[in-house]
Amino acid sequence: MFYIHDTICISPQTSYTDIDLGKINGPVENKLLAKEPSYEGIPLGILRRMGRAVRMGVGAALQITKQNLDGIIIGTGNGGMEDCIKFLNQIIEYEEGMLTPTNFVQSTTNAIAGQIGLMTKNKGYNCTHVHRGLAFENAIIDADMLLTENSSAKYLLGAVDEISAYNYNIDLLDGWFKKEKLTNENLYDLNSAGSIAGEGAAMFLASKEKIGASAEIKAIHILHSDNEQMIASELKKFISKYTSEEKLNLVLSGENGDNRLQKYYSTCETQLPEKLAIARFKHLFGEHASASALAVWLSCQIIIKQSVPKHLLKFPANNAGINEILIYNNHKGIQHSFILISRVDG
Amino acid sequence: MSRIFITGMGIISAIGNDVANNRQSLTQGKSGIGHSELLQSRYASILPFGEIKISTTDLKEKLGAKESGITRTDLLALHAFEEVIANSQLTEAEISSPRTALVGATTVGGMCLTDELYHDANKQDQGSEYLSSYDCGSVNIYLQKRYQIGGIINTINTACSSSANAIMYGARLIRHGLADRAIVGGVDSLAKFTINGFNSLHILSNELCAPFDENRKGLNLGEAAAFLVLEKEEVTGNKTKYAALTGYGNSNDAFHPSSLSDNGDGPFLAMQEALAIANLSPDKIDYVNAHGTGTENNDLSESAAMIRLFGIPPAFSSTKAYTGHTLGAAGAIEGVFSILSLYNGELYAGIHFDKPIPTTGLRPILSYEKKEVRHVMSNSFGFGGNCSSLIFSKA
Repeated sequence: MFYIHDTICISPQTSYTDIDLGKINGPVENKLLAKEPSYEGIPLGILRRMGRAVRMGVGAALQITKQNLDGIIIGTGNGGMEDCIKFLNQIIEYEEGMLTPTNFVQSTTNAIAGQIGLMTKNKGYNCTHVHRGLAFENAIIDADMLLTENSSAKYLLGAVDEISAYNYNIDLLDGWFKKEKLTNENLYDLNSAGSIAGEGAAMFLASKEKIGASAEIKAIHILHSDNEQMIASELKKFISKYTSEEKLNLVLSGENGDNRLQKYYSTCETQLPEKLAIARFKHLFGEHASASALAVWLSCQIIIKQSVPKHLLKFPANNAGINEILIYNNHKGIQHSFILISRVDG
Repeated sequence: MSRIFITGMGIISAIGNDVANNRQSLTQGKSGIGHSELLQSRYASILPFGEIKISTTDLKEKLGAKESGITRTDLLALHAFEEVIANSQLTEAEISSPRTALVGATTVGGMCLTDELYHDANKQDQGSEYLSSYDCGSVNIYLQKRYQIGGIINTINTACSSSANAIMYGARLIRHGLADRAIVGGVDSLAKFTINGFNSLHILSNELCAPFDENRKGLNLGEAAAFLVLEKEEVTGNKTKYAALTGYGNSNDAFHPSSLSDNGDGPFLAMQEALAIANLSPDKIDYVNAHGTGTENNDLSESAAMIRLFGIPPAFSSTKAYTGHTLGAAGAIEGVFSILSLYNGELYAGIHFDKPIPTTGLRPILSYEKKEVRHVMSNSFGFGGNCSSLIFSKA
């Protein structure tokens, strides 16, 4: 497919600068909140009007768009949810009186890609994929098609989602978040429904240029199903089509502590080569529609550093280097993705 | 490269509940914009809307949609989806094939349920049945589940150009061999959210919208859904091929979060790219179904871009004067209208037009005409600078 060059991540962990995945930042009131930087590249007047998702997305993207880009491809499940409900609340509370448009303009999910285009004067391709837990995956497919159409091009590819009080409340009422007091340690062991809320932005420079690349996205497959046997059989096909027991060193599993979803991960594990290392990441980034984008960023880090932080491992790794990583993620039990990421030789 | 054909259309809008009724209104120059009967909003009696006159309860009944958490947006999408499946004669096996993709667009999703969303986002007690129905992705997740669609599923939101981009993404999935067939389109229902949003920007007209008119006062909001079946030539069999999708372009205006540049850079680049993909010179375009919202800003910017691209623009009109601006559905319904124009050899009149904008002098076509049409361009531009243009050609 294509190569990933620059990678920038704003997440609940120390991922933006001085990356340190050895120490873990824990949740505050059951929410893994992003450690936002000071956003020095964004003029204060503009920054003040930005909601959290727009801010994180634009802030991360600006580090990459210093390059001359052919376009911008963003995935987001909810976009600026906080602005959206702020505007909605005004509609109700002022009984549709005269409202100010700032929240409305910021609330449209394409405001992130639009704002990046505007701030970098980028008139190229610009698209926002919003297919809930497969928004970033569709952005990857889009980037792959664009790079096949123009092999000398470079695209900004990324995803962002925020925790707002409002989407947290909706998903809590819908049973997607645990009510017990959560820590990074107990997430996988509580044997209850729901997961931990998270947020973040991951941005990448995608191109066909191998030289200097951090990693390669080799293959992707997405599917909708609630049948764990079907998912597991698709996973088996994916592994035999795109990788091998020799090359594949690690699986990053989207396991999120929700005991209703455990069957998907457990059944998929039965299809993996024996003694393959399995690592988890949701205790770092939480559960949200863009979690898989943060998993891609994490995979790049593991490949660059050639080591897996211990607290990630569910089954330990052997001593061999990391050549290929398979991410299996599942969103709310119906949206599934497999992403294969590889080290770049030479 | 194999060609991509449209083998099915489905639509519901303020000018009709199916393709035949939409076409009849277009040929008769009959607008569907007027007083709303169903909408709950303080603006319902003040502003004109392109409303579909079937209640949400009746839509549920008619479509046998008994699942809980179904919104008006889902139902409008389902209505158009049923028509497109029947029109393209798709079998259950074809729909559930991993080679059949679904790419839909919406900007409102389940946010049409303002009061329910207000409650669910703010209150700690029992949630409503719609907790999983608010986001944009929910509409296509519902269609996927109901029809067991087997291929790549996606939802796109680039504001008012959303469904043009859904059509483009579906066509590219086929071009790249990732699907043999893509069901593509978009939907939006009237919502307090968008009514108040556009109203806060002072771009809603209290009169019938008058695209490209000197004294245009803004847009009228509408609701609609439309889908197309795109198929690669090899799988079309002996089905009717209504048109071929030959060109598409996507560009960003990079000028302002909610308005277009005076010289229409984004619109110009999107149209230019669509022509390049279709391998056509500007003079080959017989008709432009313009974005033409009826706002001061859009119509001026689009006119400037058309003059830059065409010199003297070909016949053009905006069908938003019939349906209202249907936001995430606009690119898809106007795709249907563009295909109807090609297939039936006819051009639809620009209505509510009186005098041209003095600086451009451009006049949309003002009466229905029968005419051989070979290539039609359909424009969609949105907030965030998102501009897209599609070209449909005679099959």
